[in-house]
Amino acid sequence: MIQVHNLTKVFTDNKRGDIRAVDHISFEVREGEIFGLLGPNGAGKTTALRMLATVMKPTEGTAILGGHDVVKEPDEVRKMIGFQSGDMGLYHRLTPREILSFFAKLHGLNGARLTSRIEEMVSLVGLKEFTDTQVDKLSTGMRQKVAIARTLIHDPAILILDEPASGLDVPTARVIEEFILAARKSGKSILLSTHVMEEAEYLCDRIAVIDRGKIRIVGTMAELRAATGKERLREVFLELLGMEGEFARRSGDVS
Amino acid sequence: MSLNQVPVIYKKEILDTVRDRRTLISMIILPVAAMPLLLFVLGKFISSAERKAGEEAVTIAVRGGDAVPGLVEALKKSGFELAASDDLRTAVEKKEIAAGLEIVTAAGSGTELRIYSDDTRQASGIAARKIRTALDKFKEEKILDQLRGFGVPETVLTPFVVKTVNVAPVQKLAGFFWGSIVAYFVVFLMFSGGMYPAIDLTAGEKERRTLEIYLASPAGRDAIVLGKILATTTAVLVTALLSILSVLISIRYTTFGESSGKLQAITGRMPLDAQTWGLVFLALIPTAVMAASLMIAIALLAKSFKEAQSYLTPLVMAVVLPLVVGMLPGMALTPALALVPLFNICQLIKEIFIGQFTWLAYAITMAANIVYAAAAYWLAVRVFKSERVLFRT
Repeated sequence: MIQVHNLTKVFTDNKRGDIRAVDHISFEVREGEIFGLLGPNGAGKTTALRMLATVMKPTEGTAILGGHDVVKEPDEVRKMIGFQSGDMGLYHRLTPREILSFFAKLHGLNGARLTSRIEEMVSLVGLKEFTDTQVDKLSTGMRQKVAIARTLIHDPAILILDEPASGLDVPTARVIEEFILAARKSGKSILLSTHVMEEAEYLCDRIAVIDRGKIRIVGTMAELRAATGKERLREVFLELLGMEGEFARRSGDVS
Repeated sequence: MSLNQVPVIYKKEILDTVRDRRTLISMIILPVAAMPLLLFVLGKFISSAERKAGEEAVTIAVRGGDAVPGLVEALKKSGFELAASDDLRTAVEKKEIAAGLEIVTAAGSGTELRIYSDDTRQASGIAARKIRTALDKFKEEKILDQLRGFGVPETVLTPFVVKTVNVAPVQKLAGFFWGSIVAYFVVFLMFSGGMYPAIDLTAGEKERRTLEIYLASPAGRDAIVLGKILATTTAVLVTALLSILSVLISIRYTTFGESSGKLQAITGRMPLDAQTWGLVFLALIPTAVMAASLMIAIALLAKSFKEAQSYLTPLVMAVVLPLVVGMLPGMALTPALALVPLFNICQLIKEIFIGQFTWLAYAITMAANIVYAAAAYWLAVRVFKSERVLFRT
């Protein structure tokens, strides 16, 4: 369970002054739920996820993950989450086994339990033949599988995924989606950010549209449609960003 | 900080470092291979140049030799081969002869013996020196002959003999030589060899975008920095030891030509006792930690490997300054100077090798360097905890 309360992040830039990257956002992700943070580039999705993963400290507000406060108990939060950044973040000179072993050990897994868990994850994601091949010799799809295995190695109750299928081809993106759906089935709370409409529509139980650091709306697809009067998520999204009318006006100018 | 995570982090950092070809080349292969290769080539070059110069130096020409009876014979006896030449200056310039000797007799001003040489040529310099020696010997014999004719004893020419006694035993000279080399190379190589691992584990992680996942893991930031500093310290010490071993073996077994007999005697007396090396190694540890922490702190500020390189290269250059001061003769490790970082370790190593260090100087140097290492570690931790630094855009 993730509970976000008024989470805010302000960056101070020498030239531009204070920049409110995330502005008092609040939402909740339940157990067995996939919650999507949908927004354009620069909306504040990554910053929000970084604060939830305790990589960044909030300027204001907080979040409770699995009963632990990200500000007061960041160490406890880190034990509970599986975090994946937009860039996979794999050590290219290490093998999948070495990467999995490293992160598992950081999570306190040792001895026979460590070995069996690595074997389990390797067969789950289909990496068996490549367990001892250096990551830089693996294809993008294989690397993504290593990243998934690493995120799940300690069987976390909460998954925080920053654009998990970004830049992947269709078959690989599909594999990722299958893992996310399986994780929901096992009761995990999953928070993912994306700017891909189809991904959000297909995967998410509920969606929050974020723009310029603020959440514009939170709800299921049906609730979003009802609130905006638009059918497709793309139209809902543009409507909420205030761009749908602008586009129609521009089309009118041309005709 | 969870200390039991540090070995896990350390192991991963070492593994990641040794798999990096760039780091391996700069850290191990280059320092180990460069010096023996350089000295081998240099040794060969010096020997062959000396041999060639020696061969060339025997050919000279004499003009007006008849004016001094017995002179030409004396030169021939000294091993010179005489060539014929009318213009000695041109012949020397054109390298037809190594040097020339002209006997000029002017009315009223006695006989002048003029040696022509080109001091930019080794062979010509050698020939000129040899001619002078031969002439001195010839002059002495002539004077002796005349003295004998007058019945004066030979001893009148040498009322006393001057001798210099160097109170420094060869062992001490060897200590000074080896101490200077070890101090200079080890400390310099600590920085130059540790630079790549320090960058790879900091700015390299940022560039490869692996840092974010690391920070979201249960590994605390203090533990991560400590693991990275320990790994870099290991790299620094391994580089320094391998390089120094390579330098020592190279110098020990390189022949620097025949004329460097004294140098050979010194290089042949490398202190090898466990106490000397143990004290040196122990003294180096705080400096290695300081070097690693400082480089980690600086490299963390950069966004990319290249940027970090441009930050650290001036630091490595700057390190040379206190080292050069430390190599100046006459510098002593006073309690006040023992507080100057890098200079102190350089001087201490030198004095350990000479065998004249004091335990007080050793203790002050160690204490000062431990304080500097702790300060550098604190700085690295502080930098690593700064969001502005880690997520600089």
